Amino acid sequence: MRNLLNFLLKYNNLILFLILESIAISLLVTRNEYHNTRVVKSVMGISRGMQEKINNGRAYLHLRELNYGLASENARLRESLRKFEAKKPQGFSQVNDTVFRQQYRYTPAEVVNNSVNKQKNYFTLDKGRLQGVGVDMGVTSGNSIAGVIVGCSDNYSVAISVLNIDFRVSARIRSNGYFGSLSWSGRNHRFAVLNEIPQNVSISIGDTIETTGFSAIFPEGLMIGTVSALRKSGSDFYRITVELATDFKKIHYVDIIGNLKKQERSEIEKQFR
Amino acid sequence: MINSIIRYSLIFIALILLQLLLFNNIQVSGYINPYVYIMAILILPATLPQWLILIISFLTGFIIDLFSGSLGMHSAATLLAGFVRPYVLTLISPRDGYEQDSDLSMGIYGVRWFFIYASIIVVIHHLALFYLEVFRLTDFFRTMLRVILSSAVSITFIMLIGYYRKGRRRAGSRA
Repeated sequence: MRNLLNFLLKYNNLILFLILESIAISLLVTRNEYHNTRVVKSVMGISRGMQEKINNGRAYLHLRELNYGLASENARLRESLRKFEAKKPQGFSQVNDTVFRQQYRYTPAEVVNNSVNKQKNYFTLDKGRLQGVGVDMGVTSGNSIAGVIVGCSDNYSVAISVLNIDFRVSARIRSNGYFGSLSWSGRNHRFAVLNEIPQNVSISIGDTIETTGFSAIFPEGLMIGTVSALRKSGSDFYRITVELATDFKKIHYVDIIGNLKKQERSEIEKQFR
Repeated sequence: MINSIIRYSLIFIALILLQLLLFNNIQVSGYINPYVYIMAILILPATLPQWLILIISFLTGFIIDLFSGSLGMHSAATLLAGFVRPYVLTLISPRDGYEQDSDLSMGIYGVRWFFIYASIIVVIHHLALFYLEVFRLTDFFRTMLRVILSSAVSITFIMLIGYYRKGRRRAGSRA
């Protein structure tokens, strides 16, 4: 007993260090994606005012680009509206049922916290569970992908950014339909890497990369980026560098995409697994 | 004694706020992420008991973690910095030893000594921090580059803050 006490006294600092370090490491490794949500809940209350001020300043500085983006989006929407108007006088009666075949629902949201300089970047949105946002919904900026919601509190949600070394999304080349897996290399916030495209496929620089719709998170055909460089690695696959269509340094207004048929789909898929 | 505790608390709060409001918002590139809050551990008096230093280190890291949404990362790295601190101090102790109850500042021990001391601790802290962040050994050398560049920037800012404190102290003693 005395020996034990002596031992503890002699090495008390080392023991304290080991205890605290194991607490820290266990916090680090057992963290699931949701730890961010808890943090959002507890800390947002304190730092919200500060955060919003910084955010307002940043929004003001980017007004010109925002205006431009909104104007071009307006133009695009007006154009697609005209398409529908043109179809009207075909003799069919219009059914005013919006739920019938609708698969995706869009909610606009504002980014209130964001980073691009870490290896695991997340961003925070100002919509939460009360506004109908749920885990595993996609987030898009303009018409290109930005991330996936990983946790929600009542009024806020946290999304994993494409700029996170743990992020994976199934992506394909628009021109020929070959698909692979897209991830971020952790180097530059403008570029991601597309893997698993076999070398017999013909690809050229500037080809569009889009989502596949395999995951039920993003609808099919959403823009991801364009091919900016190709490299033949030792294996049978290309290593394709993709310039992301979303500039995460400027991201401010985003849309959250909810898939209305996701539950149905996952239920049927579960039966065969 | 009470006086120095109050003064230290003020510096501590100032450093944390500086880190959260200013340095966390500098997003030059992924390669340069300065973490100057580690200075709060650097300047603690040499005669403080080690267990207290460990607890202060852990709490400092934990506060930074809470506000930057990276639970455990800064805690682990800062705790390691607090743990190696006494060994570094004995390794590079000045000829006359350390003064009782005075913080480890540039004004007392000289610019050169402070630079060496700060560099060693900052590099250890950043090494732990950046490798814990990626948590894998692929891209080993790229992470190393991030450690080196970020450490250089952090040390520069810590030296600047150190100079500022030195200047202020001299002005204060004259007054």
